[in-house]
Amino acid sequence: MNWNFTAGDFQLRLPVTDEDGDAVYELLKDASRRAHLPALPLDVSAQALDDLRRWALRFQSREAACWLIEQQGQLRGRIGLQHINWMTLSAQLWWELDDDLALADMQQVVPAVVAFCHRELGLHRIEVRLRREATRHLELAQELGFVHEGYLPAQLEFEGDSVDLELFSQLAARV
Amino acid sequence: MKFTPELSFAGGRVRPLEASDIAAIIELYQHPELPGQRPLDPQSEQAQQQIERMIELSVQMAATQRGMMWALEIDGQLLGLVSAYDWQPSALRTMLRVDGLPALQDEHRAAALQVCMDFLASKYHLRNFGYQWVAGQAEAIKAMLQQLGFEHTATLRDGWRCSDNRFADVEQFHLLRSEAKPVPGRLGEQDNPGQNLEKSFHAPGESS
Repeated sequence: MNWNFTAGDFQLRLPVTDEDGDAVYELLKDASRRAHLPALPLDVSAQALDDLRRWALRFQSREAACWLIEQQGQLRGRIGLQHINWMTLSAQLWWELDDDLALADMQQVVPAVVAFCHRELGLHRIEVRLRREATRHLELAQELGFVHEGYLPAQLEFEGDSVDLELFSQLAARV
Repeated sequence: MKFTPELSFAGGRVRPLEASDIAAIIELYQHPELPGQRPLDPQSEQAQQQIERMIELSVQMAATQRGMMWALEIDGQLLGLVSAYDWQPSALRTMLRVDGLPALQDEHRAAALQVCMDFLASKYHLRNFGYQWVAGQAEAIKAMLQQLGFEHTATLRDGWRCSDNRFADVEQFHLLRSEAKPVPGRLGEQDNPGQNLEKSFHAPGESS
């Protein structure tokens, strides 16, 4: 199975831990790029290396995967799976995007990733969980065909706030 | 050491699982509540070993704050299990489930859930209790949850896998407790800063 593939104008590939840290740091040092998850921005470049190492370990056990979204060699964002449950055939999809990636771009990237999940990995249900205040990403999820299913209250504490997560999904039969 | 307490409620009690419960638990799993869950073969050696392992794991889960399992007894008869799973200590939340024999009444199911939540809220400061009702389970469970104060917050389409190609929707309920969350403090600032480290429960005079 080839985990690296093309999605329209974009290349999706698994990161190389020792090579991609600087680019990931440049992408994720801006707090707005991760607030929808929510996650803290990276403050120092060493965090990017640590982050990539953690994704590599989680990928080895096939509980998660992280792809770099590249366009003409430039890192535009990341997209990935976590909490892959091989019993229920479900996983959570997440993304971190630069400010210029628009719906038209994501309409190339996300269907390719979801199709990979269904066809290659055999997953049935792909979830997206987003912070309620992340309007751009909530709209993006719905425009990409994810169905709003409700919310999960008080899922974590983040910067002093109790965070509710809005829940979306796509099912294999509906792709 | 015991990490799971015995808790009483009107009409019954919940208590830690014991090796002597194996036969009763195998009987319980002759009547699975979850869609797609297959009854255990009571004659198989494998079933016996699985339940033995489950009892061992119930102790390990409680010791490491990953989950907790109680036997649910009414009039001295084991009629069900109460489980806390997907316990996230840092997020102050856990999921709950009750597996019961057909003879288990909803009032006892509710009372058992309530004492377990009260315990987890007071001992471990959990504030968010979730319950997943899987399509195909008894409708009365949903009403019972709402009477306890649970709110239906989401429906996970095909969130439960019944067989290779069959799935069932999951209705997710949550109950958020209103008690104030614990205030972080430095070592020595609180009367009992190690309160979560003292997890063992002993009857007076009982040794570990």
